[in-house]
Amino acid sequence: MKTKTITGLALGILGFLTPLLFDLPGLGFAGQVTLGIFLLAAAFWLFEPVPIYTTSMLVIFLEVLLLSAEGPLCKLSQPPAVSPRAVPESQDFTLPAASLVETNQVLLRGPGPLPGRIAVEILDRAGDEVRVRAFELSTNSLVITRPRHWLNTYRPTPYRDFFAALADPIIILFMGGCLLADGAVKYRLDRSLTRLFLKPLGTRPAFVLLGLMGATGILSAFMSNTATTAMMMTVVLPILARLADDDPLRTAVVLSIPVGANIGGIATPIGTPPNAIALSALSQQGLGIPFARWVVMALPIVLLTMAFAWFLLLRLYPARTGSLTLDLPGKFDRSPRALGLYAVFGATALLWFTEKQHGISSNIVAFLPVVALPMLGIVGKKEIRGLPWEVFWLMAGGISLGTAIKTTGLAAWMVGRVDWSSMGAFAITAGMVLVGFVMANFLSHTVTVTLLAPIAVSVGAVAGRATGFDLAPTLVAVAVASSYGMTLPISTPPNAIAMGSGMLQNRDLMKTGAIIGAVGLALALLCARFYWPLFNP
Amino acid sequence: MRRIHILCVEDEPEVLEAVVRDLAPFEEVFPIEATATADEARRVVRDVILPRGELGLAICDHILPGEDGVSFMVHLHAQEATRATRKVLLTAQAGLQATIVAVNQAALSHYLAKPWNPDELVAVTRRLLTDYVLETQTNLYPFLSLLEADRLTERIRSGPLPGDE
Repeated sequence: MKTKTITGLALGILGFLTPLLFDLPGLGFAGQVTLGIFLLAAAFWLFEPVPIYTTSMLVIFLEVLLLSAEGPLCKLSQPPAVSPRAVPESQDFTLPAASLVETNQVLLRGPGPLPGRIAVEILDRAGDEVRVRAFELSTNSLVITRPRHWLNTYRPTPYRDFFAALADPIIILFMGGCLLADGAVKYRLDRSLTRLFLKPLGTRPAFVLLGLMGATGILSAFMSNTATTAMMMTVVLPILARLADDDPLRTAVVLSIPVGANIGGIATPIGTPPNAIALSALSQQGLGIPFARWVVMALPIVLLTMAFAWFLLLRLYPARTGSLTLDLPGKFDRSPRALGLYAVFGATALLWFTEKQHGISSNIVAFLPVVALPMLGIVGKKEIRGLPWEVFWLMAGGISLGTAIKTTGLAAWMVGRVDWSSMGAFAITAGMVLVGFVMANFLSHTVTVTLLAPIAVSVGAVAGRATGFDLAPTLVAVAVASSYGMTLPISTPPNAIAMGSGMLQNRDLMKTGAIIGAVGLALALLCARFYWPLFNP
Repeated sequence: MRRIHILCVEDEPEVLEAVVRDLAPFEEVFPIEATATADEARRVVRDVILPRGELGLAICDHILPGEDGVSFMVHLHAQEATRATRKVLLTAQAGLQATIVAVNQAALSHYLAKPWNPDELVAVTRRLLTDYVLETQTNLYPFLSLLEADRLTERIRSGPLPGDE
């Protein structure tokens, strides 16, 4: 085994056990378990001893086993209870003294998941028994004899709530986007749109490059960045043979695709999973952002960095050739199924952008293509099976982790550890965005946002009131900054594809990735400070 | 990266040089090894090509000093590592019998008669290497600019779309 694998496994197991070995004041046992799961997941996601999506599955599994009401831990560790014994010829009862809480209260197991608390009048103490009088007591009552048991204060989540993360509305939103993309590729809509886009831009290399970045950006706003890169690479790589071996334009053309895809993914909620994770965390807090509002928020930074990236590529890799022709044969598919795809695509996009007018959530709208495309035979079983299920699982793990952190009180506890009022509100935001950016360069972007979102939400719950910390702009900035984490070949799958073409030097990718990333990060911070707060409800 | 090689076996130096010259456009992605005899070719495959990568295409003359081209191809086909290798016979004088053996026992991919047309040689090479990478490779992007882009693109597009992680 590699050192990295061993480190990851060891840290994960250590992280899981540590919170259980210490008494953490204020955090119940359920919170300790959740903290353990969180640390385990963080270690596994950072070091990848197992594929990252399987870590997500493990998270859900552990939650169901250890935290759910139906799981073995809650089932087997119910607090013991006894029925009070009636004292003959009186209305009094005797109880074990251990069942008293706060000197004159006892916990009664009731019909609900949490025990009820009643006050009793203590008449006499004898050994480990007390004689009490209380109106609510009867010989049928069940008095809990271990009042400090963790299940007396933690209301276990039903296990279906943890499983439900895989059908979370945000995942349905994504599924809709994926099926639209599948249909678009199947009926060559992506190629037709690219052709449409490149035609008016002529053959001047600078404008062809702009067209390529624009087409890539627009496609990746609706398709996964990786799928977009894969498709656009099949457009650009065949023409590279026509350029001289030493023409720097080769590098610019190959780089324009992953750069365009990484930036374009920021533009819509379905552009890339980090956006969706941030959105789902926000809507859990009642701060949901409609589809169109996200686009309005993201578009300025997308356009600015795209323009900057264009100038940068032209500057670093000036074309030697005077003209570059991209010939994409074919025309718009006009078969009935293709027309059906255009109609469903158009209707979905229209409904997404007019959420404000009709009020129907984009998550619900996304179910339209999920149902309509297979029903009309536009996509088939092959496309359904070919959905990126590992990405859905990855997102589901993050969503269910968020549920556990919230319901076990871990969120409130974590935030209570730090004196937030001593920091400026924006310093907290900037710190998180920076951490997110650095992490995203080394880690999966989805994992980055998944780990940071619950922390941001917790901070927002406490620090928000105290210091004016602004949750929505912070989470949006974290998601956006993660998309700019594109310095290394391993930073994003689009980078990996571009490197895998064999047409790119490592240092070219790293140089442009670092410069564009830094500019994007700076712009994201500016937006989080001055632009995105304007959209707070 | 394990690179895919092209092997040319031809005993006349000028002819060998011409073949290698015609194939020069492929050299950037597919390193070319040239040998004069089947014996030398066996050694090159074993000691040079297979340790570093794989053999995608073998172009052989039939009449060679020592072992003939067809028997060398049968040898390549009998081995696991070179079974998928595409085999081209480039010859003026392979009899019917030898050709039958080449087709049946070495899965001969193409027969080119000398003198050959350079454009045809390039087209055949491009087609056969495309067949080879489609059969053996998962990452097709490095070949898009040199080989038959249409077929490679079709394969990439018909696979499941990757999602971002």
